[in-house]
Amino acid sequence: MEELAPKVSLIYILSQSVVIRFAKGAVVPGDRMGWSSPSHDERVEQWIGRHSRGQIILACVLATFLVGYVDYLSGPRIVISVVYVVPIAIAALFAGPVPAVGLSILSILVSLVSDVALGLSINALYVPAVNGVLRLLFFLFLVFVLSRLRELQSGLEVRVEERARALALETAERQRLEQEMLEISEREQRRIGQDLHDGLCQHLTGTALASQVLAEKLDAQGRAESEAAHRIVDLVEEAISLARGMAKGLNPVELQADGLMQALEEFTATTTDLFGVTCRFECPTPVLIHSPNTATQLYRIAQEAVGNAVKHGQAKGITVTLEENEDGIRLCVSDDGRGLDKGAAGAKGMGLRIMADRARMIGGRFNVASHWPRGVELSCLIPQGPQMEAH
Amino acid sequence: MNRKLKVLLIDDHPLVREWLTSLIDQQPDMAVCGEAEDVQSAIKVLKAASPDIAVVDLSLKDASGLELVKSIKAKWPQVGIVVLSMHDEDVYAERCIRAGARGYVMKRESTKRIITAIHEVHAGRLCVSDQMAASFAEKFVGGRAGAQSSLQDLSDRELEVFNLLGRGLGTRQIAETLNVSIKTVQAYCARIKQKLHLATATELLREAVRWHDKQSEGAGVA
Repeated sequence: MEELAPKVSLIYILSQSVVIRFAKGAVVPGDRMGWSSPSHDERVEQWIGRHSRGQIILACVLATFLVGYVDYLSGPRIVISVVYVVPIAIAALFAGPVPAVGLSILSILVSLVSDVALGLSINALYVPAVNGVLRLLFFLFLVFVLSRLRELQSGLEVRVEERARALALETAERQRLEQEMLEISEREQRRIGQDLHDGLCQHLTGTALASQVLAEKLDAQGRAESEAAHRIVDLVEEAISLARGMAKGLNPVELQADGLMQALEEFTATTTDLFGVTCRFECPTPVLIHSPNTATQLYRIAQEAVGNAVKHGQAKGITVTLEENEDGIRLCVSDDGRGLDKGAAGAKGMGLRIMADRARMIGGRFNVASHWPRGVELSCLIPQGPQMEAH
Repeated sequence: MNRKLKVLLIDDHPLVREWLTSLIDQQPDMAVCGEAEDVQSAIKVLKAASPDIAVVDLSLKDASGLELVKSIKAKWPQVGIVVLSMHDEDVYAERCIRAGARGYVMKRESTKRIITAIHEVHAGRLCVSDQMAASFAEKFVGGRAGAQSSLQDLSDRELEVFNLLGRGLGTRQIAETLNVSIKTVQAYCARIKQKLHLATATELLREAVRWHDKQSEGAGVA
């Protein structure tokens, strides 16, 4: 009896650790949500996953026989029938309910056989048989619970994956829509600007000329009304200037490659004049941008960033830098203002998001950095390899 | 009495043509001899009517007015050209004058100035705004003459960079063409700016393009 004790305790410890592992693997679907790195539960699952269902069943059957043999060795007074649970649980979790039920029956039979082998007479089998039936009921209940758990878990995993996929799709769609919105608004602004410039301004030019014709006619007749006619000419010319100014605001960047440089130079000068801040434009070497869309989006980013610095940051000095370096074309707006509030919300946060969207739209990387103790630096880098500049 | 000046109008906007015609016809000493809305019909009228003055809009339906100015200058050198444009003079005036125009009038101030401009150009004088004329003079005295002499100060490599800038190449392309790093090109640009007394990259580019245009014009004549 003494030499059996260590064997039994060894089997007990082994079986307990295996049961705990599998129970954890089955019950904790939270790990699947991605909060923790692959734990040993997942490793167990992976290990199980590498083996076919047949192999698992075979292993469980062998384990059952092994347990039966140990049952036999441990003698009639030590009851280790609980250990039969291990292969049944494994089968229920990883091979399905039918093999698990089969194993349950098998384990009852094996334990009966071991009892018989231990010398129990066939006639005295009544008590172990009743115990066996009760145990079978318990095993079946366990199989039912574990299979159900397994089902729920895999259902949950599928649902989580579905949700995650739907969410990713939705996010992508939202980004696409935002970019499309920006593109459309930019296109529309350009179109309206173009219409103002080519349509309305020309029309007004014709009107001014017509008024001049009238004024000169009235002059020739020596009529006093000629003065009013000349005044109309002036007014219409003012209207042309106004409409041109609006067109410029809507369509700020001229189409040629150095349009952005010119536009930013003009913009910084105007900002300095209008807002009483020192807004400098730094552009060490000519930066040529051949895509009007890229140029316009960069201009809008600069415009928004400078606007933020003046309005929210109460900056006194702003520097707009446009440069080309080994990484690509870089636009940077830095100021000496109050900096960004934590979690910049509302209009300001929206502004940052739109700037980031614009940057993304033209394949750029947008970056915001707060400087201590004052100042913000916003930058947008458009990566450019040797091959991208080829045409 | 002298015969009236014959003016040809080339503008793609009908309302502008209509009233500009009225205005010109109203003058005692000039008359519109033809109108055109694009380059093709302009060439036809030029052949048929032999005008003294052509008033050209920069944005035409089928081509750039600037090209038209160049071809008028080449084929009908006796025709004085006044450019009438919606665009700002500081961007285009100089290019138009270099292309062969003798006057540049912005549409927003055209009403009173266009008649003066036609007279001036016919008399053989240049007609641009006072501001523009001052800037030309400055460039001639300080800038261009200065630049011309300082161009000699440029090293061969710097001149090469300057020339490539004028051809419309970006910093990266220049670096690739010359097989140097972008930083090196930036250093060249900084030195060129310093030597030519140019404040900004925009000025540098404009100067380079102007120099390049002048070189190629010279090459074309020779």
